[in-house]
Amino acid sequence: MAYFILRRAFQSVLTVLGVMTVTFFLVRLAGDPALLLLPVEATDEDIRRLRSALGLDQSLIVQYVKFLTNALGGDFGVSLRQRTSALDLVLERVPATLELALTAFVLGILLAFAIGLLMRLTTSAKVRTTIMWLALARQAIPVFSFGLILILIFSVWLRWLPSLGRGTIQHLVLPALTLATYELALYLRLFNASLSAEQRQDYVRTAYSKGQSRTTVILKHMLPNALLPLVTIAGINLGLLLGGTVVTETVFSWPGVGRLIVQSVSQRDYPVIIAGVFIISLIFVLVNLIVDILYGFLDPRVRVA
Amino acid sequence: MRKIRVSTGVALALLFGILLLIAVVPLLPTYDPYGQNLSASLLPPGGVSFDGRMYLLGTDTLGRDMVSRLALAGQVSLFIGFSAVIVSLVIGVALGLLAGFFRGWVENVIMGIADLQLSIPRVLLLIAVAAILGSGVFKLAILLGLTSWVAYGRVARAMALSLREREFVLSATTQGATATWNIRKHLLPNVLPQMLIVGSYELGQIIVLESALSYLGLGVQPPLPSWGLMVSEGQTYLELDPWLSVLPSIALFMLVAGVQIYSQTFTSENDMSAEVVKAS
Repeated sequence: MAYFILRRAFQSVLTVLGVMTVTFFLVRLAGDPALLLLPVEATDEDIRRLRSALGLDQSLIVQYVKFLTNALGGDFGVSLRQRTSALDLVLERVPATLELALTAFVLGILLAFAIGLLMRLTTSAKVRTTIMWLALARQAIPVFSFGLILILIFSVWLRWLPSLGRGTIQHLVLPALTLATYELALYLRLFNASLSAEQRQDYVRTAYSKGQSRTTVILKHMLPNALLPLVTIAGINLGLLLGGTVVTETVFSWPGVGRLIVQSVSQRDYPVIIAGVFIISLIFVLVNLIVDILYGFLDPRVRVA
Repeated sequence: MRKIRVSTGVALALLFGILLLIAVVPLLPTYDPYGQNLSASLLPPGGVSFDGRMYLLGTDTLGRDMVSRLALAGQVSLFIGFSAVIVSLVIGVALGLLAGFFRGWVENVIMGIADLQLSIPRVLLLIAVAAILGSGVFKLAILLGLTSWVAYGRVARAMALSLREREFVLSATTQGATATWNIRKHLLPNVLPQMLIVGSYELGQIIVLESALSYLGLGVQPPLPSWGLMVSEGQTYLELDPWLSVLPSIALFMLVAGVQIYSQTFTSENDMSAEVVKAS
C-alpha cells in the first residue's frame, strides 16, 4: 500500500510539472511580457532594459528553469493591473470557489445516492423512467442556461433569493443548485447503470435463491459493489465540476477563482490567468490523488494495476 | 426495445426542430440576422413593429430579428461542432492506434500527454488558450478539436491493444505486413464504428463547450451570433425581456438533448457509455 501511494504521489508531481510546462509555453505564446508591461510610448532602449531585467534575453532553457523555480516558490509574477502578487490575488479567491464546489459536490452525490437507491427500491417503472428522463434533460442544459433559468424563476419572478454575489446562505443556494443538479444527473445515470450491471451478476441470483428479500439484496449485496465506480467517476468528474464552477461563478458574479480568471482574460492580465489555471489544476490533481488512494483502500486490485 | 424507440422519436423530433430553424429560416424572405431597427427593439415573440412588420420570435436590443439570429447562430455552432469532432477524431484515432499498436515508449509518451491534458479541466485550458491566442470561429473549431482528442485516443488505444493480438493481425505480420499496413487495413476499420459513437457523444459536449466559451465572451465574437453569446447578451435584460436569454437556451437544449439521446440509442446504457465518460 505504501508503495502504491508513493507511486501515485510521484505521478501527481510529474503531472504538476507538466501543467507548469504547458503554462510556461502558453506565457511565451502570449508574446513579449516586456511589451505588455511597458506603456505604448516606451523607447527601444526601455524595452531592452526591461527585457534584461526580466531575464528575457537569456536562452529559453534558462528562462524555463527560472520559471519553474519561481513557480515552485509561489512566484507567478505581478498582476499587470493590480500591481500585486498574482498568486495572492488567486489565493484570496480560493475559499469562495471551494465553498461553491464542495457544496455542489456533496449535495449532488448525496442526492444521487438517495434518489438512485429509492429508484431501485421502488417497483414502479413509471417513477423510474420519469426520473431518468429528467436526469437526461438536465444533462442537456448547459450550466449557464440552467443558472439563468433559476435566476429568472427565483430572483426575478418569485423574488425569493438573491441572484448575485456571495455572503449569506441564500446567496449560495442558486449557484450550488446549478452545479449540484448537473452532478446529480450525471451520477444518477451512472449509479443506475452500475446497479443494473450488478443485478445481472451471479451473486445476486444466489442471494435471491437463498430467499433474501429484494431490499436486503439491493442494500447488502448490490450497493457496496455499485459504489466503487461512483467513487472513480466522482474523482474524474471533478474536472467537469471545476470547469462548471468557472461558468457558474460568472453567471452569479460569485467572487471565486473562475470569475477572476475570466475577468483577467478581458484585461489581458496573463500572470493572474496563469496562476489561476495553475491553482485550479493543482486542486484537481490533489483531489484525484486522494480519490485514487481511497480507491486503493476500497478495492485491493487497484493497488497492483 | 420500446424505451429505445420512444427515445429515438424524441431525439428525432428535437433535431427536426433545430433543422427546421437552421435550414429553413435562412430561406425566408425576412431572413436578416444583422439588420438593425432601433424603433423595433426588444419586441416579444409575435410582436409587431410600428411599420407593421411581425417578428416571429421578437427582436433583440438593437431591433435585430431573433429568429434569423438564432438560425445563423445554430449554423455557427454546428459548423464548429462538426469541425472540432473531425479534427479530434483524426488526431485521437491516429495517436490511440499508434500507442496501442507499438506499445513501449510511444505508448508512454502519448498516454502521458493524454493524462496531462485530463489534469487541466477542459474549460480552463480552453479559456487560457483562447485568452492568449484569441478567438474566432475557425480558431475555436481547431482549439476545441485539439483539446478533445483524448476520449478517442483512449478508446482507440484500448481496442488496438486487443486487436494487435488477434489472429488476423498476427498472421498478416508473419506474412511480412508492415506496421503501417496493419494499422491501416486491420486496426482502423475495426475501431472506426466505435469512434463514431464516441464522436456522436462528443458532439453534444463540444457544442456545450463552445456555447460556454461564447457565453464567457471568449468564443464566437459579435456581431456574429452564437447561442451562448446571445444568452449572455440577454442576461442584462432578464427582468425586462427574458426571451432574449430563454430562446437561445431552448435552442441549445433542443440540439444538445437531441444529439445526446440519439447517441445514447447506440450505446444504450451499457458499459460503453461509462467508458466514454471516463475517457473524456
